[in-house]
Amino acid sequence: MVRALKVYTLLFVCIFCYGIFHFQLKQERQIFLEHNFMDYTLPSQFTGPVSLEFKGLVSDFLLFKFMAFMGGRIEDISKNDPRYQDYTYQSLNAITDLDPYYWDAYLFSEMFLAWSGRAQDANKILEKARKYRENDYYPPYYIGFNYYYFLKDNKKASKYLMEASKLPGCPYYIASLAARLSLYSFQHRNGIVFLKEMLKNTKDKKAKKEFELRIATLEILEYLENKVTLYHSVYKKYPESLKKLVTSGLIDKIPDDPYKGKFMIMQNGRVYTTSKMLPY
Amino acid sequence: MNRILALSWLTFKEGIRDRALMGICIIGLVMLFATIIFTGVFGYDLGKVLVDLNLSTIAFAGLLLTFFVNINLMAKDIDKRTIYCVLSKPLSRTEYIIGKYLGLILLVFIALFILLMVSSGIIWFVKSFYAQIYFKNFSWACFLQACFYEILMFFVLNAVVIFFSSISTSSFLVLLFTIATYITGQTIEEVMQFFKKEAMAEQLPQINQWIIDIAQYIFPNFSAFDIKTLASHGKFLPMEHTMALIGYSAIYTILLLFFASLIFNKREIT
Repeated sequence: MVRALKVYTLLFVCIFCYGIFHFQLKQERQIFLEHNFMDYTLPSQFTGPVSLEFKGLVSDFLLFKFMAFMGGRIEDISKNDPRYQDYTYQSLNAITDLDPYYWDAYLFSEMFLAWSGRAQDANKILEKARKYRENDYYPPYYIGFNYYYFLKDNKKASKYLMEASKLPGCPYYIASLAARLSLYSFQHRNGIVFLKEMLKNTKDKKAKKEFELRIATLEILEYLENKVTLYHSVYKKYPESLKKLVTSGLIDKIPDDPYKGKFMIMQNGRVYTTSKMLPY
Repeated sequence: MNRILALSWLTFKEGIRDRALMGICIIGLVMLFATIIFTGVFGYDLGKVLVDLNLSTIAFAGLLLTFFVNINLMAKDIDKRTIYCVLSKPLSRTEYIIGKYLGLILLVFIALFILLMVSSGIIWFVKSFYAQIYFKNFSWACFLQACFYEILMFFVLNAVVIFFSSISTSSFLVLLFTIATYITGQTIEEVMQFFKKEAMAEQLPQINQWIIDIAQYIFPNFSAFDIKTLASHGKFLPMEHTMALIGYSAIYTILLLFFASLIFNKREIT
């Protein structure tokens, strides 16, 4: 009886001590994890062969680790700490090397990299998605958006958005936006050819109407630019205004902008519209 | 033929009596059920994660079974001297090798088939639990194709076990050789791709390139059997690929069993 009591007492003491040490260790680990910035991901050149036939599983694990790491530091991330951005790029690059079809990882690259000033890096990762997810319109759409919104490169933005709008499931207004960006980058001919192609393939009446309006505007812009070039070849200078084209007899009158804006000539001889092809 | 079938049935029965098999099955089942919880943690590609986890569990269970049950089944005969009883019967050593191999692959096939059934049930359950938009790339055909490829891989891997068991008497050495062959087979294609890159190819001496070329003929290309990533994204491989793989694995297995029986016939069993 006494022996049994001793054994149970010892057991109780052990369990009690275990509870204390477990609690202490937990606190110590919390401090350790907060002070040790584990911002590394092994490159895919290493993780690929080491994963053997479990590359998909390892990519899931790495993404889970990434989500847990970033989720706990969401406030710090908003401070644009380059360490987090480097970690994000390395992690998402490795994950998408292991599984190049993994959309969640690509989505995170757009969310965390593009919106924290690393649009070029986001595009590098999204280019992989564009290669492997060939029927998905999101990768070229995001790349195009990054070029337009963050990198201010309308020419490239227009190219990628045009590509996205040809893929299944893409809303028609992306095509419309692509054509508008082609106007901003003075790629009128590209815009016309692209919209005419889209017009043939669309059945949506609203989209058709919008495409026709844009084609008409871009064709006027192209027509006017051709006349400006003609004027330049005759007078060896660009006209100060479009009225000069009328007075010189190259055109009968300045055409109306279908979007109710006004056509104007830039110093470099390019023609632009004040409506920016935005609905009136 | 009857003698071979009788031996393979005996090997299978001996295998299912092994307690390690129960342990592996329990681990496999627990891991499969855990996928229900883990899938929900992810954001969009739930179908991909679900298939990844299920196929990886099946593959992992198959590997444990091959490394820790099947290798012992082969070694036990020699360790416990039961091989004398078997070989004293009107059974040639070649028949012994074939019978043992069929027994081992039957054991792997049955175990993986059970896991596949449970896994299919879990996938069906999880799919009905979440909105279908998360599973738009999921395809049963791709999932079953990946399982079929995995089972084919275990047919070859078990032939490797038989081959090394015919050379070595130590089960530990057989385990080491089999794991080394498995790792080499899984990575050889990637290493080949790496060395074939122009910059690397120029730096490498000719002899090294020959060694790499010969190595890829000697070691089985296990990475060709791994289509888990493609299956998780609903990408079905064409039948030509499947037929080529079936042909490759059948020929490789026959060659291994041929060499195994050749060595085993010349071996002195003491």
